[in-house]
Amino acid sequence: MTSSSKEGERRRRYDKLVAVFYQDMYRYAAWLCRDKAIAEDVVQEALLRAWKSLDALRDDDAAKPWLLTIVRRENARYFERRRLETVDIDDLSASQAALLAGAPNEELDDMRAAIFELDDDYREPLVLQVLMGYSTSEIAEMMGLKQGAVLTRLHRARHKLKDSMETQ
Amino acid sequence: MNCEEYREATAANPAFEGGASHAAVCGECRAYQREMLALNAKIAKAMQLDVPELKMPELPEIETGTVAVLPARKRWLNPMLFAVAATVVLATSISLRVSGVFQSYGSLAEEVLAHMDHEPAALRVTDEPISDTRLARAVPAKFAIFDRNASLITYAQPCKIRGKDVPHLIIQGQHGPVTILLMPEEKIAEAMPIDGTNVKGVILPVGDGSIAIVGDREEQLESIQKNVVNSVTWTT
Repeated sequence: MTSSSKEGERRRRYDKLVAVFYQDMYRYAAWLCRDKAIAEDVVQEALLRAWKSLDALRDDDAAKPWLLTIVRRENARYFERRRLETVDIDDLSASQAALLAGAPNEELDDMRAAIFELDDDYREPLVLQVLMGYSTSEIAEMMGLKQGAVLTRLHRARHKLKDSMETQ
Repeated sequence: MNCEEYREATAANPAFEGGASHAAVCGECRAYQREMLALNAKIAKAMQLDVPELKMPELPEIETGTVAVLPARKRWLNPMLFAVAATVVLATSISLRVSGVFQSYGSLAEEVLAHMDHEPAALRVTDEPISDTRLARAVPAKFAIFDRNASLITYAQPCKIRGKDVPHLIIQGQHGPVTILLMPEEKIAEAMPIDGTNVKGVILPVGDGSIAIVGDREEQLESIQKNVVNSVTWTT
C-alpha cells in the first residue's frame, strides 16, 4: 500500500468514527463541563487528539470508550489550564442557559437544570450509565473507582434528582 | 435481600433484575422500581441535548516517518512452501516439547522480537501519555503494579507470549520508543541479551518472572532498565 493510500485509508477510518460518535462526544463533554462554548472547545481538542493518536486504536469496536476517554481528559486539561482564572457566575449561568436552551417543555427543562446542579462526582457516572449505556463495572474502570463507589454515586444521584423534581 | 438492599440496587440501576423473589412479595418495592424506571426515562430524555453541527478541526498531516518500523524479516514468497515448512516446524516443535528437549532461552528472545514485529504501530514517537485506565487494562492488578511516574508510557496493550498473558508497554527513550514486556510467569535464571537488526535489549530475571526491555541500538538502556525494574511489583 502506498503512503498516500494509507493516508486516505486512515482519513476514511477517522471520518467514519467521528460520524458515528460525534454526538456522544459532544453530549458527554457538555454534561461534564456544563457549558456550550467550553464543550465545543473540548470536543475540538478531542477530535484533534484522536486524529493524532488514531493508530493507537487497534480495534474500532473499542472506539467509543476510547473517544470518550479522550474527551474526559481534554475536559480535565481544559479546567487544569484555567484553574486560576476567575469565574464570573453570571457569565457561567448565561453559558449554561445556552446549553439548556431548546428543552421542549417545562418538565424537561427542570430535569436538565436538576442534572446540571448535581455534583460532578454524581453527574458523570449518571451520564455514562444513562446516556452512554455503560455498565457500572465499565464506569468504575473509566473513572478509576471501585464498583461499589459507582453504585453509591448512582443511587445518590437519582435520589437527588427525585427530590429536586418533587420540590419543583 | 431486604427492602433497603433492593431499593439501593434499583436506584443505582433501575433495570436491576436481581432480587426477583423479594420483588414478587413486596408491592412497595415493585412500585419503587417503577418509579425509578419512570425517573430514568425522564433523565435519559433530558440528557439528549441539542448537538451543534460538526466542525471538523484542521487536521495536521501525520508523518508515517514518526512510526519506527522494525526491519522487515525475510518472508516466504511461496505460501505453499511456507505452509509445508510451518507444518514441519510445528510438528518438530511439538515432538521436542513432548520429549522435554525444547528448553531454549534464545527462543524467548526470538518470540519477543517476533511479537514486536507484529505490533509495529506501537512504536510511535509521541509525547502523549496513555490514560490510567488503559494502563490498568493492560497491566491488571492481578499481575503487577506498574508505577508510571518514572517513565512516559505511550502505549499499553495486554498481549500473549508463549500463551501467557503479558502486558506490553512502550515508553519513550532518548532514541525512540522502548518496548517493555512484563512476563510475571516467565522465570529465567539469568539475564538474556536480545539482538535484533536495528534493536537491542535484554530480558531480565525479576522475582518469579522476567521483563524484556528492547530499544534502539543507540539507546542507553541501563538507566531505563533500572527505572523499569524499580517500577514493577509483581502481584501474582
